Amino acid sequence: MSGLAHYLEDAGLATVIVALVREHIVQMRPPRALWVPYELGRPFGAPDDTGLQRRVLQAALALLDRTDSTPLLVDFDEEAPFAEGDPDWRFPGALDSNNPLAEAASVMPVWQLARERIGKTSVGISGLSPETAVEFIERFEGDAPMPNPKGMAPMSRARFAIDDIKAFYLESAMAEGGHPSSRQLQDWFWNETLAGALVREFQERARVSDNANLRLIASSLVPAERTIAFIEGRG
Amino acid sequence: MVRLVDVPEPERTVIADLDCPAYSDTPAVTPVAATDRHVAILSTAGFIVRGERPMLANETGYRAIDDNVADGDVLCSHVSVNFDRTGFQQDLNVMLPRARLAELEQGGVIGKAAGTHYAFMGATGPSRLEDKAREVGRSMLALGVNTVVLAPV
Repeated sequence: MSGLAHYLEDAGLATVIVALVREHIVQMRPPRALWVPYELGRPFGAPDDTGLQRRVLQAALALLDRTDSTPLLVDFDEEAPFAEGDPDWRFPGALDSNNPLAEAASVMPVWQLARERIGKTSVGISGLSPETAVEFIERFEGDAPMPNPKGMAPMSRARFAIDDIKAFYLESAMAEGGHPSSRQLQDWFWNETLAGALVREFQERARVSDNANLRLIASSLVPAERTIAFIEGRG
Repeated sequence: MVRLVDVPEPERTVIADLDCPAYSDTPAVTPVAATDRHVAILSTAGFIVRGERPMLANETGYRAIDDNVADGDVLCSHVSVNFDRTGFQQDLNVMLPRARLAELEQGGVIGKAAGTHYAFMGATGPSRLEDKAREVGRSMLALGVNTVVLAPV
């Protein structure tokens, strides 16, 4: 991101970065940066906290009013709310734990509620429905793989099908709102669902596969700390 | 989890050891007055519009997100799985605060919120993005943009 700032300034645009990794800013010296103390993936603080998002944005833009010499790095010291999560949070539905497809079907009505509450969904990047995405991964490279629709290479389809599975479950987990932390949600998905186990096992097979294309996507499936290889000390 | 020391291993070491290119100087444009600012947001979340081909690892191109694209049609195709997406799944503005920017325009804090914002694929070596960064810069200038908020994930 700091590199982009240099190129855009060089082109004649004034820039300011909302930075998550302070150490990188110190090394790369972009003209102006506001460091925010938020987790990776949340540069503007917290979802649906319009006040905090606006304060971060205004603090960043305010750096453009400073007359100090650049590079300018300022810390934003307002913590995100609910960072500790909600100990009372529970998945707002009953999972059918017979098999991954049955589990996905049991999540579907909860996801519909979540879509209504949130007003949108980020599921859909693979072009498969959530349940089809689960089946696609279950059967991938098995004896009877599902046909891959036109428009996307099979490995990319698998990678984005997994993105969709995760989004499907995690959006469902937020169907009733509340303030679970991202860690709570991730703990639930990876430790308590068959879908999490399916994806983790798929990742491990991909990691050691003879298929170079499959190995290429292995690092884009499961957070590094939650892979089987890392947990077992082999990654 | 809010600071690098709080990022779990092994990702913390990956981030800490990331090769950051050195830049010989820090070019700084003299910003225009706040009320003259025409502001665009540039994200490295690998955003695409629903139905577009997702961005792939190390891709150096960029995508434009026009204001008429609904929040639910902005998807994240970033290659990394080591950052939170649950905030984005609830509210696009936690990554791409275009609604907040529009409010700043309405409140007279800035001159104008851009009608188009942009996204690159993060986790791509910065020097590999130079050509496309300069290209997107020219596009912004052609649209009258003079200020860019850069938002990593």
